[in-house]
Amino acid sequence: MKSRVIKWIDQRFPFSSFVKHDLTEYPTPRNLSYWWNFGFLAGFVLVLQVATGIFLAMHYKADVTLSFDSIQHIMRDVNFGWLLRYMHSTGASAFFLVIYIHMARTLYYGSYRAPRELMWWTGQGLLLLLMATAFMGYLLPWGQMSFWGATVITNLFRATPFFGDQVVVWLRGDFGVGDATLTRFFALHYLLPFLIIGGVLVHLVALHTVKSSNPSGIDLAAKDNIPFHPYFTIKDFYGLGIFLIVYCIFVFFLPNSLMEPANNIPANPMQTPTHIVPEWYFLPFYAILRSVPNLVGGVVAMGLSVMVFSFMPYLDRSRIPGGAHYRPWYRVMFYLFVVDMLVLGYVGYIPPTDQSIMIGKIATIFYFAQFVLLPFISRKEEQWLIRCGLPPEVETLIASEAKEKNKLPHQRRIGDIK
Amino acid sequence: MKKLIFILVLCCSSFHAGAAESKLEQIQLETDLPAVERGADALMNACHTCHSLKYITYRDLVKFGMDKKKVSDWRGDQPLDTALTSQLSDETAIQSYGIVPPDLSLIAKAREGGPSYVYSYLIGYYITPEGMTGNHVFPETRMPDMMGMSGATDPVQRAELQAKARDIVSFLAWAADPHEEERHKLGYYVIGYLLVLTAMLFVVKNQIWSRLK
Ligand code: HEC
Ligand code: HEM
Repeated sequence: MKSRVIKWIDQRFPFSSFVKHDLTEYPTPRNLSYWWNFGFLAGFVLVLQVATGIFLAMHYKADVTLSFDSIQHIMRDVNFGWLLRYMHSTGASAFFLVIYIHMARTLYYGSYRAPRELMWWTGQGLLLLLMATAFMGYLLPWGQMSFWGATVITNLFRATPFFGDQVVVWLRGDFGVGDATLTRFFALHYLLPFLIIGGVLVHLVALHTVKSSNPSGIDLAAKDNIPFHPYFTIKDFYGLGIFLIVYCIFVFFLPNSLMEPANNIPANPMQTPTHIVPEWYFLPFYAILRSVPNLVGGVVAMGLSVMVFSFMPYLDRSRIPGGAHYRPWYRVMFYLFVVDMLVLGYVGYIPPTDQSIMIGKIATIFYFAQFVLLPFISRKEEQWLIRCGLPPEVETLIASEAKEKNKLPHQRRIGDIK
Repeated sequence: MKKLIFILVLCCSSFHAGAAESKLEQIQLETDLPAVERGADALMNACHTCHSLKYITYRDLVKFGMDKKKVSDWRGDQPLDTALTSQLSDETAIQSYGIVPPDLSLIAKAREGGPSYVYSYLIGYYITPEGMTGNHVFPETRMPDMMGMSGATDPVQRAELQAKARDIVSFLAWAADPHEEERHKLGYYVIGYLLVLTAMLFVVKNQIWSRLK
């Protein structure tokens, strides 16, 4: 029995059919593991950041003479202001943690391959927006690390050919990071999350076109797809509970462990901190920047280290489904990549020594080598796997794929829902 | 899940691994009212002449529960909402020390090592073989040894000074994070609630999924 209001709306707007098609009855593979919870969690943290951010913005002042004090006002005098701020600052770390796990899941299961390339690329765009948002947000408290981090990073744009110096001034709105920089970073820090929301919508429309991948990597027959509600709503909420417990441990008991002590000192352009470090989520890329001795090379390497993920759909030449699960060589590469990231993160964190610079260089070369070698390794691995014989499920898939070859070209894709 | 825990452990541990920390004396912070109040007393006598605590007002001290009479002694005829500004003007400070002594409101959070750093710094003064005053933690510091640590040779006197430094650090830690106690209290409730909620969600999840077979 539908209420009259809903009926009235449905005659004018596809409300019920949308809810049915995209929420309640959306067909979802029943074998999704808990690694598939992280997309929902990322969406949740996004909402959390916007909600806490808007309330912070009601008390925050974007002015070099006032912003440090306004943060202290939030922390000390605003009712539950400390909670808002710690939720927001911890939320930024939580966001990156969730996104990195979400990306690692995609890499492990090879979900970036056809027909999900657009999901992977919109995700890459979202990662860039998230990095920009967090970088600009970090300037707002106007502490020492805020100021010097922004100075170091905006300075990298000097590497732009021909008019590098002008670009730096244009970005900062002044010769040095100052009031103009702070106000524009605040404006953009307010804007970008809404662009992220738009990007997430595109990401989801693409998802609902190609449907979720699943750990087997093999298309499931209709009987193995179950409606999203109630099965995955409850599973997502259970995962959310676990996430919130970890998140709240940090918010209530360890919020300062995620903040640099130096950021509790007001920005002072006359005094450089002994050791400038970015937030933990930028450390691997920062290590790559520092591993290349020359500025332009370092900037290019750092930019490439983030953007290189976009090429994954082309670099991975293997058509063996199921990602790393059925692909021993790729699996080894995946784990080595994770270890390499952690090594780079550590190298980025510690003050540079001869030894750490050496390790950073090796880890950087290894990082890029993995991407460069992937086409050859994945091709060889596929041939080897086919020669050795694949697991029976995979055999079935290959057979059905061969049948698909006879279909019209636009229907002929691995992973298509039949 | 294993990786998640690993990453969490990695980032917590790496954030505490400061280079200077090895030589710091780690202290167990006392956060109870008497310790904080003793610390405030010591600080008002020994440090307030040079250092401000601009984010703390006398009213904050009263609200925290400190003795009203003591607070009114400290503030003299200033209004209750006055911040704890120092009595040293910036010019005089630069003339005498070459630097304006830093505001102490956030000092317990603004150094690698936090309260342990401040404590080790305060008790880190000693007499060098050349007869000068040195500091183990911050060798080039321009702050004179205000507590007289370097001159104290008698173990009893040293212990007294250490206790005093510990109290001062208790006060500074409170000043840097006045809502910490409230935060922890609320945290226990929130996490307790989440544990119950998550356990229930787990049960409901299993129930719903068991319909599938
Ligand atoms: C005679 C003035 C004076 C008095 C009194 C004084 N200080 Fe200082 N203090 C300074 C100066 C000057 C500095 C700056 C030192 C530097 O950066 O070289 C300083 C710095 C500090 C620092 C920061 C050290 C760092 O790592 O940068 C702390 C903490 C500190 N004082 C605590 C105290 C405490 C606690 C007391 C009371 C026992 C006290 N001070 C009394 C002058 C004073
Ligand atoms: C994509 C989501 C977001 C991320 C990743 C993010 C990240 C950050 C970070 C890292 C900081 C610095 C935290 C600190 O050290 O204190 C910050 C501060 C801030 N953000 Fe955001 N933010 C997001 C969304 C928003 C939104 C939507 C708003 C407002 C509408 C907002 C308003 C603020 C304000 C006012 C501050 C300064 C207060 C503070 O530093 O705590 N943020 N943000």
